[in-house]
Order: sequence, then C-alpha cells, then structure tokens
Amino acid sequence: MIADIGLVALTIAFLFSVYATFASAYGGWHNQLTWVESARNAVLLAFPFLTVSVIVVVYSLYVLDFSLAYVYDVSSQAMSPFLRVTALWGGQQGSILFWAWLMAGFVATVLLRKWERDRELMPYFIATAMLTTAFFVGVALFITNPFMRLWHIEGATELTQSLFQPANSMPYFPEDGGGLNPLLRHFGMIGHPPTTYLGFTGFVIPFSFAIAALITGQSRGDEWIRTTRRWTLVAWIFLSIGLILGGRWAYDVLGWGGFWGWDPVENAMLMPWLTGTAFLHSVMMTEKRGMMKKWNMILIILTYSLALFGTFITRTGVISSVHAFAKSALGPAFFAFIGLTFIGSVTILYLRWDTLRSEHTLESFISRESAFVLQNMLFLAITFAVFWGTIFPLISELVTGVKITVGPPYFQRVTGPLFFVLLLLMGIAPLFAWRKQAMRALGKVIWIPFLASLGIAIIWGYIHRMHPASIIGLWLVTVTLSLILAEFWKGIQARRTTLSENPFTALFNLIGRNHRRYGGYIIHISVLLIALGFIGDANFKLETQGTVSSGESLTIGDYQLRFDRLRGYPGSDGREIVEAVTTLSQNGETIRALNPRRDYFIVQEQPVTVPGVYSTPGKDVYVLLVGWDDGGQSATFKIYVNSLINWVWIGGLMMIIGTIIAAWNNPYQREMTYVLKPGGLSSHPLLQEG
Amino acid sequence: MMGQLPTDEQEVQPPPTADRKRVGIIVTFALILTLLGLLAWGLKKAQAGPRESGMAPDFTITGFDGRTVTLNELRGQVVIVNFWASWCPPCREEAAYLEETWRKYEGEGVVFIGVDYVDTEKEALAYIEEFDITYINGPDIGTRIAQAYNIQGVPETFFVAKNGELRGVHIGPMKSPQLDEKIEELLAEQYP
Repeated sequence: MIADIGLVALTIAFLFSVYATFASAYGGWHNQLTWVESARNAVLLAFPFLTVSVIVVVYSLYVLDFSLAYVYDVSSQAMSPFLRVTALWGGQQGSILFWAWLMAGFVATVLLRKWERDRELMPYFIATAMLTTAFFVGVALFITNPFMRLWHIEGATELTQSLFQPANSMPYFPEDGGGLNPLLRHFGMIGHPPTTYLGFTGFVIPFSFAIAALITGQSRGDEWIRTTRRWTLVAWIFLSIGLILGGRWAYDVLGWGGFWGWDPVENAMLMPWLTGTAFLHSVMMTEKRGMMKKWNMILIILTYSLALFGTFITRTGVISSVHAFAKSALGPAFFAFIGLTFIGSVTILYLRWDTLRSEHTLESFISRESAFVLQNMLFLAITFAVFWGTIFPLISELVTGVKITVGPPYFQRVTGPLFFVLLLLMGIAPLFAWRKQAMRALGKVIWIPFLASLGIAIIWGYIHRMHPASIIGLWLVTVTLSLILAEFWKGIQARRTTLSENPFTALFNLIGRNHRRYGGYIIHISVLLIALGFIGDANFKLETQGTVSSGESLTIGDYQLRFDRLRGYPGSDGREIVEAVTTLSQNGETIRALNPRRDYFIVQEQPVTVPGVYSTPGKDVYVLLVGWDDGGQSATFKIYVNSLINWVWIGGLMMIIGTIIAAWNNPYQREMTYVLKPGGLSSHPLLQEG
Repeated sequence: MMGQLPTDEQEVQPPPTADRKRVGIIVTFALILTLLGLLAWGLKKAQAGPRESGMAPDFTITGFDGRTVTLNELRGQVVIVNFWASWCPPCREEAAYLEETWRKYEGEGVVFIGVDYVDTEKEALAYIEEFDITYINGPDIGTRIAQAYNIQGVPETFFVAKNGELRGVHIGPMKSPQLDEKIEELLAEQYP
C-alpha cells in the first residue's frame, strides 16, 4: 500500500520533470517568461514528489517490507536500523532513485537561490538540468523501479518481479531478505556512494549553466562562471571525499593492504575529478583576464561527460571491474543518453565557438597565464592516459580479439612523471605574476625554499639510502610545501609589520581577508599530504606471510607479532567472529595487542576479513588473519607495514577544511545586486561597493 | 543575439580560419562517434550471453599449488572449466558435487579446471581446503579467462569437448546428476 504511494509520487515526479524540460526550452526560445516560470514551478514540485518516493523506499527498507524485490535484495532482519536505511544506495534500483532525487534537489536549490540573478540563462539551464533529471527519474520509473513486487506464478520455479500482479500469480512475502553485501558494511562504503553521487550530480549545475551560456550567447561573458563557482567547488569536494572514502574502504575491507588499485571503477571516478580540478583552476583565468573561455567550456563538458561515461562503463559491465554492478537493462537507455549528451554539447560548442575568443593573448612564456595553460594540459594528459588504460581492454579485443587489461604499472609509469610536474607547478605557479614574470624576481622568491627543501631531501636521502626513488618524491613534496608555507609566511610578516598584529591574529586575518587564495593553498598542502601516502606506498611497503603456533612470533622490519590464541564469539548484524589475540612489539618492547578477525556472515555465507591495525603518523602495521589450523593452535597471518599511509586520510580532512574556506562567502568582497530589466528575461548585474 | 560577431576592442587574437574550424569539428565528431561505436560494441557484448559454441578460447592457468595447465594441450580429453570465487555463496552449493564428480571421472579422460574469479588468495585457499578440492584451481589474473569466455557471473561452468569445441555452458550452481550426464555425453563423442 505504502509502496503504491511511492510509485505514484515517482510517476508524477517524472511527468513534472519532462514538462519542466520542454516548457523551459519553449519559453526560452519564444522569449515567454510565463512558460519559464511554469517550468520552474514544475521543478519545485518534482523535487517534493521525488522526496516522497525516496522516503517510501527508506521506510520500506526500515520496516522490512520484503514483498518489494529491492528490500528483499538488500535488507535483512539481522541488519541494524541504520544499515537498513543506508541500503537505499546499496543496490542499483535504490541508488538510481537516490541519484535522481539529489539532482532534482540541486536544480530546485538553484532555482530558489539564483532565480532573480541569472534570468537570461535560466530557461536553458532548467532545460538542460531537467533533461538529465528526467532521464534518471525515467530510468528509476521504467527500468530499475524500486517498487517492483515479488510474485509467485503457478507452476514456476522462480519468483517474478513486477509492479502489477501477473496472471495466475500470488503475491509472495519472503520471511527474510538477502541483506546488504557484507563487504559494503563499512563507514567508507556507507559514505562513498552518497558523496560520489553528490559530486557527480553537482557537476550538472555548472554544466547546465555552461550549456545555457552557450545557447544564449552569454558565453562571451563570465557570468555563468561566477554563478557556478561555489557549486563547482562543492561538487568537486564531494567527488574528492568520495574518492578518499573509497580508498579507505578498500584499505580496510579488501585486505590487500593498499588503497588505490587503478581499477576501472576507480579510474571512472578519477577522470572527472582530474578534469573538474583543471576546470576549477581554469575558470580563474576567465574571471581575472577574460582568457581560456574555450578551455573552460571544453573542461566542463568533459567533466560532465566523463562522469556519465564512468557511470556507464561501471554499471553496464562494458568494462569488467572488480566491483562492477550487477548487469541490468540499463545499458541501451544509458547509451542513448550518453550519445545525446556528447553529440549535443559538442554541437552547441561548435556553433558558439567564435563567441569564446580570448580577450588577451599570452604575453610571456613565464607568467601566471602560461602556468594555467600548462596545468590544463597536464591534467588533460593524465586524464587521457587514464582513459586509454581504462578502455584499452575494449580496443585490444576489437583489434586483436584478445582482451588485454593494463595493470597498475602502466598507470604508474605514464601518470607518475606528469603528476610530478603538476605538483611542482602547484608550488611555483601561484608565485608567477600575471602577464609576465621576471626570472630574477622569481629566483629571489624561491631560492630559500628551494635550498631548504634540498637540504631536507639530502638528509632524508641519507636516512633512506636503501630507497633512492623516494628521495625524488620527498624532495618534490618538501619544495612545494616550503614554497606554499613561504607564501603564508610573507603574508603574516606583512601584516605584522604594517598592522602590528601578533602572528596568530595575522594568520587568521590573512585567511579571512582572502578565502579563495589561502583556502586554495590549504587544499594544495592537502594534496601534498596525499602524495606522501602514494610515495610511502610505492617505496617503503613491507609484506610478509607465515603460519605460527600459539606463543610463536612473526617478524617484519623491526616489528614482531606474537600469536597468543584464537577466540570466537557472535557479533552484531548476523555474524560469527573468529578473532586472533596477538601482541605486537617493536625491537622486543611490547606495543599493544592486535586483534585481526574473520567475520562470517551467516545469511550471506560470506566471510569478511577485518585487519588488526596499529596506526601511527609514520606507518601502519596491518595484520590480516588468513586462516587457522589444529582447532586454533596455529594461525596464518599476512602482515604489511604501510609507511606514510595515514597522510592520505589526514590530507583528505584538510582538503575538506580548505574547500570550506575557499567556498566561504567573503564579506570583504564587493556585493552584487541585480535588477530586472522591464518587460523581459534579461537582467544585468550592477556592481556596487559593499 | 545569436551569431553576432564580438565587438570587443581588446580582441587581438585572429579568428581561426573557417577551414581549421571545420577540420577540428570533423575530427572531434569522428572521435566521439568512434568512442560511441566502441561503447555500443562493448555493450552489445556485455549484454550477449556467454560463449556457448565454437572453439573454446585457449588459456594457460597456474594453480595455487604451482601446477600449470594449457587448454589446447588437452585435446582428446573432456574439459570442465568452472568459474568460481570464495565470496560467492552459490559456488559453495556446487563445490562438493564438483569435487565428487571429479574423483569419479579422474583418470578416465576428463580434466577439471577451477578458475578463481576476482578473489583473494587466502580466502580462495581456505575454500579449496574446506571442500578438499583436488583438481587444479588457479586465479584468473586480470580476469582474462573470464573475459574470453564472457562469463555472466560465478559460478559458471563451460563444457569443452575432446576436439576443443565448446559444448554449452551452465550458469549458476550445478546439481547432481547434471554434470555426470554432460560428461557422459561428451565422453561418448569420437575423437580420432
């Protein structure tokens, strides 16, 4: 009964979305404000109806209405109420609905906040964004409907899924459901899908504004960029958090001791992140200098297309992956939609290409402008390398008949040097002046940080002379870090001398006066911390495996792990736990007890390995219980020592803080007010000093 | 509004020639259409079922115990290729039956090959030990074998005749006497 409400709400939301798409396009084309306003109202109604639909799914998961096929698939009695709710995105049907709901929510928010401001762009913004939303709502309604029921047809051996009762059938109410895949019951996997979806759907907003700007010819100006800057930042940070949570999940759950494996699903998410990052930077050139308008358009179209592309390849099984979703009928519809988006946006871009001329040319090879061009090229090159490696299995199969999967070494070798240059650029480019940078002046600024980092790298190199490759990586991190810190130092010094503030007030005010700049620097530092994790993973990883009897120890580096005994007990969420009691010591001194476990999920008949981890800023000792024998008298362990890995998570947190600072509304910036031109859709900003 | 030429005074960059623009758009569209074609082809393949007939794609697999076997070197014998994974509950349903059947036909011109799909070694070894599996089992590194056979999931079992041709596939766990019947049928085939 309740499910019927959800189905009806979903159907109405679909009709409103389709209506909004056409009404706004029609209103924009014929310059009729009433149609556009009607479209806006349709969007503002579609969202609450979708919300009802989502609430019904969540409620059904919570109360375990197993007559719904989706609930039967992903929920079970043994799951805690919290896990049942998160099962909304635990399977295909729920996650598509969730995705559509987020997207509609974003579009509605824009219409509530920006309606007065960007009237000229609105008709085509609504049309573009709601076309996408209507597509996802349509998929949720017609292809992956979460309200399908289970029916038992007379004489059939298998259950049938259908919205309405088939002939000769009885409704079927299972006792219990399959439950969420145990591997997904981890905070990383609970947080990863929603953040990823927020990131992907968030990019719909700048993309739709870009398309609207192209259609209306407003692309010449940079209004659409100013409007969407914060949206882009929000989408970008959610995508970043999604990537990091995914890595954390892999590290904690998959049990191979790493956090990044260049798997197609990971690449699918990395590619839009790369182009999105380039876009975030590139738009500054348009704001400040009226340049790189073509780049911005290409980058935002690419970002959005790659987000769709990633969703497509992972959800349809076109490229097999470790964590591909179950196959579904989604493929053809998604393919048609992707084709339409690619061809449509490129066509519009082509028709408006001439409006995107730069207002200035590059004046010098060493300048802020040329640094931006270089960073865009680097990001694109990395994206292309990742793209090539990801679709290579398809190409190789088409050409030679053999599917060749390129492994992590390809990605590391090709993207490594490019990332190296990019990180270096990240340190130096902010020092470049606009238009032209005098080399002598640049030298004056960078020689101290450069020498300091060289010194540190030499000391580091001496300590780690066994790992010469790490020296280059560490030097890179130190030189870039010291260049960024020098910027903070200079700013603080200036405030101290001119305003006689104490260092902390100076730092606080420095950031407060220029959110974007210093928020950006903080994000740059966080990227360096994450790079440290990759350097540690590539250079210092230790690994051993062995079987020991009770009382015996395994040794790895300076660490010893003593196996004491095994114990078993029932755990929460329907699992039986077998836990090893071990003691970790370093050079003979006891550090602490570690309890690597094997959780066996009874209903799913699936074991999950939970590592025992001793974590410090420098390194993690990561112990896996591989197996046991003789009734628990001996056990096999795999031990990793992962250096610097924690800096990935610390960097992730810092990235969030930096983004919040960068996106914060700056009270010192000029306030903008807008007036509606009489009798029409157009509005123009009037700049007024605030 | 549409199609107006920019009148910005600061415009310094010469407009790209119409030819250059045309070549650019043709190349771009060609690339997009190629990509879409590639995706369509991949999608069609992904949606098509597993291979069921024709020559069985050749592969070499190294078992967890170090044994190596190459499919094409097994001509004259009936080969059962079973895809499985330790994380897959339905695989557990058929594991005992598979091993039992293997022991029944061992030495009679039948070879069993277990292909462990997307798995971790320790869990896989525990699984093999649990069901006391004695036929060769090895990891499908890079999922190459699974891709060659275009499997839909695990478990999935392919039947290879003495002449190296595929004689069907079984998706999902097998129950007695499905495998016995298939093996008898393939053993009865003549091979020079």
